[in-house]
Amino acid sequence: MTEPVPRAVVEDFYKALASCDMHALAPYLDDEVAWAISGPADVLPFCGQRRGKSVVLELLNRDIPLLLEKRRLNPETMVIDGDRAAVIGKLTATRSDIGHAISYRIAQFMRFRDGKAIEYTSIIDSFDAVEQVLGHPLARPAGHPAEKDDFISV
Amino acid sequence: MSYEVPRSVVEAFYAVYAARDVDKIAQYLHDEVKWTISGPVDLLPFCGTHYGKAAVIDLVRRQVPQVLRTFSFVAEAILVQGDQAAMLSRQSSRRTEDGRTMSFRVANFMRFRDDKLVENLSLIDSFDAVEQVLGHPLVPPDGVRGDGGDLVAV
Repeated sequence: MTEPVPRAVVEDFYKALASCDMHALAPYLDDEVAWAISGPADVLPFCGQRRGKSVVLELLNRDIPLLLEKRRLNPETMVIDGDRAAVIGKLTATRSDIGHAISYRIAQFMRFRDGKAIEYTSIIDSFDAVEQVLGHPLARPAGHPAEKDDFISV
Repeated sequence: MSYEVPRSVVEAFYAVYAARDVDKIAQYLHDEVKWTISGPVDLLPFCGTHYGKAAVIDLVRRQVPQVLRTFSFVAEAILVQGDQAAMLSRQSSRRTEDGRTMSFRVANFMRFRDDKLVENLSLIDSFDAVEQVLGHPLVPPDGVRGDGGDLVAV
């Protein structure tokens, strides 16, 4: 039987994650935490799967800031049920090298055990994220005009 | 007292949605339902925001199947709290034009009222989805992808 995660644990974990406070986040990561971010890892190097507390902290504290700085998570909805939590919101950041503002939707699913995160899976609007990181629309096949007006921002 | 959606309603809706049983899906849709799928509308025409029961039924019955036909929709997590639900699923579909199989993860965040769905936000790994729908990589080998290009080095 899985133990329900207290709301306070989820909120503290998320607050630390959202504000990139690694000292506050570290106590909430299980040593064997599995961390997955959907998206093309060759374009967005922080995407992919990682395992282990130290690897995840390195990802959040070193790898991602090489591409995105001033990173913040802005939650819109948080759902907590049993040992799991899910959040939908927006990630905002600036591209580290040129300071372009970046903002894209992100859904996060977490599972906790003994007050620590053991699984993290995020789904991002990766097409939108890639275009913003590249700073230009991706090439369309013939007949698909790459007009910015065609995009939705949700 | 605020409305709380019964887990049985969420699970029943999920079952008919996973089966893409449009007539049964319709029974769970509020007349004023708002259904959003994030992604580039010019490449994935079913993306965007659809308002109203008739529009959502048309989306599921006609618009999405013009691009892909889903044959498997498996839940990895279903969370329910208050009037909201969050789901993480693995969707497997066939491209309508040639039957090519494609698979990607989907996050759904839903809100219910009076046991009817009033709001859904679907988030997909849209870069991956677009590549699978197009049937080729989005960024050519001599472009940005894989060779650094105008991406920052990490």
